Amino acid sequence: MASRALPYCVRSVARAAARLNHGSLLTRSACAPLVPKQRPLSVLSCSQRTRWTQLVRISGPSVDQCRHYGDLPPLTLQNIEERVMYVLKLYDKISPEKLQTSSHFMKDLGLDSLDQVEIIMAMEDEFGFEIPDAEAEKLMTPAEIVQFIADKKDVYE
Amino acid sequence: MAASSREHVLSLYRLLLKESKKFPSYNYRTYALRRVRDAFRENRTVEDPKDVEELLRRARDSLALIQRQKVMEKHDTQFTSAILLQRCR
Repeated sequence: MASRALPYCVRSVARAAARLNHGSLLTRSACAPLVPKQRPLSVLSCSQRTRWTQLVRISGPSVDQCRHYGDLPPLTLQNIEERVMYVLKLYDKISPEKLQTSSHFMKDLGLDSLDQVEIIMAMEDEFGFEIPDAEAEKLMTPAEIVQFIADKKDVYE
Repeated sequence: MAASSREHVLSLYRLLLKESKKFPSYNYRTYALRRVRDAFRENRTVEDPKDVEELLRRARDSLALIQRQKVMEKHDTQFTSAILLQRCR
């Protein structure tokens, strides 16, 4: 990083100097002593091609670093709904064509309370948190499940 | 069925399913899940309270059995692998 920073600073100084005194041999040679011993040519070439380097400048030290930790993507209402519908479509007693967000498990889809318990357990497995019995038996449509999970996980839009 | 026994049934169903899912062995796990589901579904229409009580008692015994069985199976597999390791040496 330091090795990149130093030529960057040197080049910017050289560029500024070149802009001030166009084409003066004296300034170009004055830039030379600033150069570190390892790369004597770089400053001179840069000062001659300042316009090109300005266009092509990739910011070295100031690159944005984005850390990706090992975590799930953040939950959004749409994401929750997609996952809920996906799990429901995988359940063999539900036909995917008849399934909608507002379809009632017992009235529209013809399931019974045992199936509803199984569905809620599948949701628990999918989202990784426990749903107590008292609240679980009230969840009768996919929309209600989505709302409940959003409440529990503090997802709002 | 009375409301409280309906809740009993549903909570027992849930507990049995949860415990069955924890079996380490694939065969036991699938068998237990399938058997629990089939048994509950088969006895859905039972109305007589004494029968219901009997079935609930059987369900609770099965639950205790599954919980014991998991522990025993875990020890059993550990025991077997310990014996195998001994023999290898």
